[in-house]
Amino acid sequence: MAKELTTESYIEHHLTNLTCGKTPEGWTCDPYKVEQMGFWAFHVDSLFWSIFLGGLFILFFKIAMPKKINAVSAPTGAQNFIEMSIEFVEDNVQSLFGSVKNTLIAPLALTVFVWILLMNLMDLVPVDFLPVLAGHIAYAVAGEGVEWIKNPESFYFKVVPTTDPNITLGMAFAVFVLTIYYSITVKGLRAFIAELTLHPFGKWLIPVNFVLEMVNFIAKPISLGLRLFGNLYAGEMIFILIALMLFFSSIPIGILGFGLHLVWALFHILIVVLQAFIFMALTIAYLAMAHETEEH
Amino acid sequence: MNINATLLAQAVVMIVFVAICWRYIYPPILSVMQEREKRISDGLEAAKKADDSLEEAKLAFDKELNQAKAEAADILEKANTRASQIVSDASLKAEAEAEKIMVSASSSIENETNKAKEELRQQMSDIIIDTTQKILGDEISKEKHEDILKKAAEEL
Repeated sequence: MAKELTTESYIEHHLTNLTCGKTPEGWTCDPYKVEQMGFWAFHVDSLFWSIFLGGLFILFFKIAMPKKINAVSAPTGAQNFIEMSIEFVEDNVQSLFGSVKNTLIAPLALTVFVWILLMNLMDLVPVDFLPVLAGHIAYAVAGEGVEWIKNPESFYFKVVPTTDPNITLGMAFAVFVLTIYYSITVKGLRAFIAELTLHPFGKWLIPVNFVLEMVNFIAKPISLGLRLFGNLYAGEMIFILIALMLFFSSIPIGILGFGLHLVWALFHILIVVLQAFIFMALTIAYLAMAHETEEH
Repeated sequence: MNINATLLAQAVVMIVFVAICWRYIYPPILSVMQEREKRISDGLEAAKKADDSLEEAKLAFDKELNQAKAEAADILEKANTRASQIVSDASLKAEAEAEKIMVSASSSIENETNKAKEELRQQMSDIIIDTTQKILGDEISKEKHEDILKKAAEEL
């Protein structure tokens, strides 16, 4: 079932996740049966990299900090980097939260920032390197027996989790849940409901207020998740298109592709950091809003 | 690009990671940083205090030094006056003593002279009387011519 390598198939290949789910015949990761899986399917590649990079973050921050806590000696090496990131996060939380004390916010912001940064950075790994490697590993492990792994080159494996809307919206969803939780615990359920129903038009137009506020309320997590997804997806797309210049056209265009690849990769470093920062800043901002008791 | 259960799985994964970071990663790092910050600010404060007390000590030292110098000068001056006093006293005393010695010496010389003169007179008159007695016999006696003898002796 090996398909001919065309421009379309190349792009499609790079934009399709390795999806595992339950079909009537049982659990499978066969890309030709995705339709039958319905909602209860998992993007194994996205989740793998997401968990792997999250684990990397936790492990790095645990190991790089010396076991014997010594506040007297000057920090060195990786510890400096960690303290720098912590200070950066603390500054941001401080500026948005001010006097409100909530010990969860800073660790949340740190996790979000470093984790998303790491996931975004996967974008800078050459586009074909990891998918083909994964295809060969899968082929070596599963062997000939499995129909859909037969061609290692067409094994679906996306390496940038943040180009998967499920990942970005999943994180936005977690932030959303936290926002609701803090809105209710800090302001109280009554104040929270009042906030959603009593303005902008006062208590005589509660349904209208509710619809308007609800749109506003739901739009936050969706825009949060889609912003990150959109930026990274577009970036990945451009990497794929530049890669196409190398493989499917004449030599001069291929050379131009090399140059463009370098330029885009350098520019993308900015996007990668910026998007991680924006996601973190908005996360803090939304949670800060959840802690504010508005006065009208 | 379908939305599927990956979303929920990612949300759960995120909550787990955040919880781990919140519980095990963040607090120890933050406490180390805060501790160090405190130590540094304490150290700076202590340094400032030490500086201040050094300044103070310097001032106190200068003050003491000046005082000591003044005292020393004072003592020196007193000693000088005392010394010159002693010297002048001593010289006065010595002069007085010398005069006294001179006076007593001259008076004793005079005494001796007078004594010698008296003795000489006595002896002279004795010799004269002896001689005269020998010449004149008993015509003359000491008792009869006492007046004349005395006169003569006085003229000697």
